[in-house]
Amino acid sequence: MNRVLPLFQRWPFAFALLLALVLLVLNLIVSPSFLSPARLPGTLATLAPFVLVGFASTPSILAGGIDISVGPLATFSNCLFVAILIPAGLGNWHLAAPIILAVAAGIGALNGILVAVVRLHPVVATTGMLFLLVGLSLTIAQNPVAAPNNWTEVFAGGIGIVPGALLTIGVAGLIWFALRRTAFVSNLLATGESDVSAYGSGVNIKAIRILAYTLGGLFAGIAGIALTAIVQSSQSSLASTYALLGLAAAVLGGTSLAGGRGGLLGALFGAVSIYLLQQLLTASGVAPSLIQFAYGAVLVVGVVLGATLLAPRLKRNAS
Amino acid sequence: MNNQPSGLMLAGVSKRFGATRAVIDGDLHLRPGEIHTLLGENGSGKSTLVKILGGVHRPDAGSVTLDGVPVNSRSPRQAMDLGIAAVFQEVLTAGSQSVLENVWLGSHGTFRRRLGRAEQRSIAQDVLSRIAGEVPLDLPAGQLSLSERQSICIARALVRKPKVLILDESTASLDVRSRDRLFVELRRLAAGGTAILFISHRMDEVAEISDRVTVLRSGRSVSTVDRSDLSVDRLISDMTGNSGHNETRRQPHDPGDVILRGSAVRLAPASAPIDFELRAGEVVGLAGLEGHGQDQFIKRLAGVAAGPGRVVRLLPEGAADLTERNGDALGVAYLPRERRGESLFESMSIRENFALPTLGEDRRCGLLDTRSIARRFDAFARSLSLRFGAAQDAISTLSGGNQQKVLLARWLATDPRVLLLNDPTRGVDIGTKREIYAILDRLSAEGMSVVVLSSEVDELVDLADRVLVFRDQSVFAEIPHSELSTESIVAAYFGQKSEVHT
Repeated sequence: MNRVLPLFQRWPFAFALLLALVLLVLNLIVSPSFLSPARLPGTLATLAPFVLVGFASTPSILAGGIDISVGPLATFSNCLFVAILIPAGLGNWHLAAPIILAVAAGIGALNGILVAVVRLHPVVATTGMLFLLVGLSLTIAQNPVAAPNNWTEVFAGGIGIVPGALLTIGVAGLIWFALRRTAFVSNLLATGESDVSAYGSGVNIKAIRILAYTLGGLFAGIAGIALTAIVQSSQSSLASTYALLGLAAAVLGGTSLAGGRGGLLGALFGAVSIYLLQQLLTASGVAPSLIQFAYGAVLVVGVVLGATLLAPRLKRNAS
Repeated sequence: MNNQPSGLMLAGVSKRFGATRAVIDGDLHLRPGEIHTLLGENGSGKSTLVKILGGVHRPDAGSVTLDGVPVNSRSPRQAMDLGIAAVFQEVLTAGSQSVLENVWLGSHGTFRRRLGRAEQRSIAQDVLSRIAGEVPLDLPAGQLSLSERQSICIARALVRKPKVLILDESTASLDVRSRDRLFVELRRLAAGGTAILFISHRMDEVAEISDRVTVLRSGRSVSTVDRSDLSVDRLISDMTGNSGHNETRRQPHDPGDVILRGSAVRLAPASAPIDFELRAGEVVGLAGLEGHGQDQFIKRLAGVAAGPGRVVRLLPEGAADLTERNGDALGVAYLPRERRGESLFESMSIRENFALPTLGEDRRCGLLDTRSIARRFDAFARSLSLRFGAAQDAISTLSGGNQQKVLLARWLATDPRVLLLNDPTRGVDIGTKREIYAILDRLSAEGMSVVVLSSEVDELVDLADRVLVFRDQSVFAEIPHSELSTESIVAAYFGQKSEVHT
């Protein structure tokens, strides 16, 4: 155990990774065809929105805040595309994709401004945004509008042998990877860990915070596209499903709600764990009502483990 | 005077926080290539001045120029871009980030890294090796010792190659070897033309490193002395000023039996243990520069903080250890330092604020008897000559001094034998201060024991029978009534035993 603990502390996502592997094995036992090539693209496609909403939650948490509105922002992006852009003749991918992503990033930036400039508490600002987005989605698409055979379909199936979902997740991952090569992620983590230190050292913490929420919005926009791919319609009712899943994925993945620790890999493994748990419970015939219960239990256990046992004891170090 | 004075010039700089004038007409000339020390006791304006230079605060009036160019920094970032790097009093590191990230924190743009990774490493390694020895660059900063983390903060300033380097009590957390290394490095930098503003509470350091010393007192710059004219006595008398205390000093009452005893109380793992006895009718002052343990000590006496050693209340009804929960029951009342955060209920009325801990006395048949509350409150309001509109008004309508009196009444209503006051006259006007002193004198005459922590030296001289001066988390000096003076206290702040004190 003495050797394992440092591993967990060095890699905050290790717990979620382990959990995901265990759940994967259990899934394979319950339904051996779980990973068959025929099912894989579909499986990954249903997984993608989970992962992306988890990604979307991560930057704001790393910055020491929280964004509750990323789930509804994903469904709003879905409704915007299906119920407004397609009817307006802007449904082509080279028109629609930039519009969706720009709007989503803009809404994220607005959250960031409310938090960093207007200085609202992040929970207040983004809860307000959550209701705003749910209301807006219902206004533009109260009932599901079908949009069969639009370009997002590729992300549900595959391009050649590459599962389409790898593209949506991959694009978000690439953006993060590229940002890691810049000073942004360092600044982001420092701001989340200790905004006083960051400010005193000359980091523009306002800009960093706004950008963190903007990035979250952008990822939520990609999540909206991945969602559209699997539902092929507008689904304003899904907002509540995704509202807190992203946070759950990020936190389960070891991203600290106190800010400054964690990353996208955590959200990835967190989301995979939650998804696999859902699959496992469904395949073993557990009542849907209990699935929610199981989410909650896993999350609480995961957070308790992460916060108490595995969190590095850095702070108090006798001089 | 030249048209273009080189170096950093402050002229007539003032800064006010609410009613407090932190810096008044601050003047300072920091020449390139000199190590200039800023000296002053608590509240003299050192840290405010540093924060103005570092871009954290903006002055209300006056001008700051660097090589003749006005400095108007609105953030630490802008100050740094002008070549002013400040290391603040607090050790500011991001614990889970690597040492390397911490050294370069803030040097980059929002996205753009300033240098290549390899270059960053070699510069950081180089600077750290000169001031702290071998520090592994990839370790999370939180795993290092306090001294090493402080060195990281200093390295963060040094890698920017500043024209002006400000070190605000940066040596306080350094171990001796790192401090010696830092001093060598500072001399090297000064020889290369860097202007260094140095703040320290250790007189030996000040004497060792300073080319010039500027003394601040109550927000004003009092004097600037060259190294050749430096004498510790002169610096101390400049810091204290010459204010007569003969008329205002109170005479101690004859102390009674020991009421409270602290034995082997340690404020830090490595600090010397403190033994302390408090007698009935005594007024004991606690003093020290910010952060030297006096605050921790009074909390230990109150039982609100725990740690090694024991604090025992001996009288009236037998020995009992103080803990977080039993202070009231044992007759030990503690008035915290922060009125707003720790004491007041700002949206509640004056009377509710007074009565909250003692509502049990106003019970009648299990219900609250509001007339009894009013009676008790009126009695205290009279005896403390409280000035207020109506007892139902919100407490926030009162002045700071009257709020403090309400809080004093709150704890006096618990009928304590020991009254522990943590900086009771902060933000209180001078008239009310005098009234509070008179109240405390009266209480001690009645046999109550009072411990007053104060950041104001004058107050301690006026009020206390004896004063404990804290340094580095232990008692550095205990000054008896006969030797009590602003000079003796301030000398002890800075680690000097005054000559009178033998």
